[in-house]
Amino acid sequence: MSTTTRQQILAEVLELLNSVVRDWEFEGPIGADTRLFADLAFESLDLVVLGAKVQEHFRQTFPFPEFFAQIGQREVRDLTIGEWVHFIERHIDRSAAAKAASELV
Amino acid sequence: MTRDVLLIGLDGATYDILDPLMEQGAMPVLRDLIGSGAHATLQSTVPALTPPAWTSLVTGRGPGTHGIFDFFRKDDETSPLFRFLTSQDVACPPIWSSAHDQGRRSTVLNFPLTFPAPRIDGHIVPGGFMPWRQLRLGCHPEGLFDRLRLLPSFNARELALDMTHEAKAIEGCTDAEYEPWVDMHIRRERQWVDIATHLRAIEPSQFTALLFDGTDKIQHLCWRFLDPSLTSGLKEPWERRVREKVREYYCQLDALIGELRDHFADATIIVASDHGFGPQVRTFYVNSWLQQMGLLVWKEGQEPSATPDAAALGLNQLARHVYQIDWSRTRAFAPMPSGNGVHIVHQDQAHPNGVSAEDYPAFRTWLASRLLEITDPESGEAVVARVGTRDELFRGPAVQLAPDLTLELTDGGLMSILSSPDVVRRRSVPTGTHRPEGIFIAAGPDIRRGVRLAPLTILDVAPLMLHQLGLPIPDSLEGRLVTEAIDPLALAARPAQRAAATAAVAPVGDVTLDAEAEAEILDRLRALGYVE
Repeated sequence: MSTTTRQQILAEVLELLNSVVRDWEFEGPIGADTRLFADLAFESLDLVVLGAKVQEHFRQTFPFPEFFAQIGQREVRDLTIGEWVHFIERHIDRSAAAKAASELV
Repeated sequence: MTRDVLLIGLDGATYDILDPLMEQGAMPVLRDLIGSGAHATLQSTVPALTPPAWTSLVTGRGPGTHGIFDFFRKDDETSPLFRFLTSQDVACPPIWSSAHDQGRRSTVLNFPLTFPAPRIDGHIVPGGFMPWRQLRLGCHPEGLFDRLRLLPSFNARELALDMTHEAKAIEGCTDAEYEPWVDMHIRRERQWVDIATHLRAIEPSQFTALLFDGTDKIQHLCWRFLDPSLTSGLKEPWERRVREKVREYYCQLDALIGELRDHFADATIIVASDHGFGPQVRTFYVNSWLQQMGLLVWKEGQEPSATPDAAALGLNQLARHVYQIDWSRTRAFAPMPSGNGVHIVHQDQAHPNGVSAEDYPAFRTWLASRLLEITDPESGEAVVARVGTRDELFRGPAVQLAPDLTLELTDGGLMSILSSPDVVRRRSVPTGTHRPEGIFIAAGPDIRRGVRLAPLTILDVAPLMLHQLGLPIPDSLEGRLVTEAIDPLALAARPAQRAAATAAVAPVGDVTLDAEAEAEILDRLRALGYVE
């Protein structure tokens, strides 16, 4: 997948997050290095909802169990937005994503 | 003429609590609805649990068809892994989707399994386990959240799930915390009514559904302050204050139902609960029993305690079932504290001690019979009243997702999945837990007045709602049209229309939780009294 596409995914994820963080009285920039739990005070259910929205957006399932299990093994259980985007990039079904994108236009 | 329909859900409501309150004059609106309409006992699903029961009520199908048996479901038929359920797992169209397909608008507020929201004409504010931080993402259509924020009472943090609120209950309410906790639920119900009446005023829907879930939560945590047979034992001043506060909740709820009635004057109003409620007097530690029977083995040193602290609960509870069970030696286990289900481990490479397909029927029969032999050491009473196999209890394409065995306990309670040296323990004070007998009340211009009906099943509600909306009733619905609730002249003027079976809804995709997220939901379940 091209860098451009990774940037597109990042932009879409940031748009999604920016749409909700303003409801939390969160101030400050959000970018690829932002940590979902430490910086945005996510709870795990928030991650699940975000995952559901990503699946809905891209109209496909992603292998979240393995991904979350990897996070669970970490000494510090956290995840940056960049890692989240990288995960999506690795598993995205390009044809489904293209179809979803074309229908959004 | 067709009627708009207002469905008011009272989660876990039971006549055992409501009747005394109505007799004392604390719930005059509900009493008036009963007097001016038709009412009945409403038999819930098996298990009598929020996700399968509400899904059955709004789809008219049983769990074997819609595929919702609990808060979680097996990843696949043979997997020991479970994942949290979303709207994408509901395999049948709920009434709001059917209404949309036939040009009707719906407003659906606080119902479980409505996230992600289906793209219907109308409004959806999801309920259940929707975190308040992302309520915006759950609201449909886009922009609805911002419109609702303008309402004076709007407070997302109290409207949707906020674990900091739940934490009090998780850690145990101190004497001083009960009253503010109940007050928070009063404010929450107020918010839902403000949203419903606001949307009714500006964009009225033909079908509106609003679920009040404070009833369930308060009955779980405050049963001893509610049950007339227990309240005489309340001696301390703070206990009497809590009793009064809980009573105030029901008074306020009744007034809110009155407000809704006024805004839906010509509509058919249906008040229903997903299940009833009653006391639970003992705890049955099912996994400990399975362990004693040699059917479940924990990994060395990883046996979970029956009295976990909140932190351990938050991080490890459900992970235990995946990572703390020794799968090489386990044959049966109970993964969830909510549905009274026991799952049998199927034999394969990863589960060499599992039950082979050949042995499965005999093993299941043997396990069921042994469960029925368990007795309360104090009273000698049987702990398990009935054991049903999934083939006996469910019909439909999703049966294979059901537990292999579903238990009904003699005290009506829910079993614990934690570990305890005692398989059965008496509770010092009874807690509130689910019962199959819920409530059904219908009132409106086309509904007969002052009629008490024979008991209905929860599957009978959807056909009545479709009929009142003027929509055809698909042949695939598993309930019946309750014609005896409808005024004969109205029924003659608008006989039921039948329709060919509707297609199942194909799941969009799986939304799987990690163990920590599942544990957070388990925290919530514990807060509601599902987990010891």
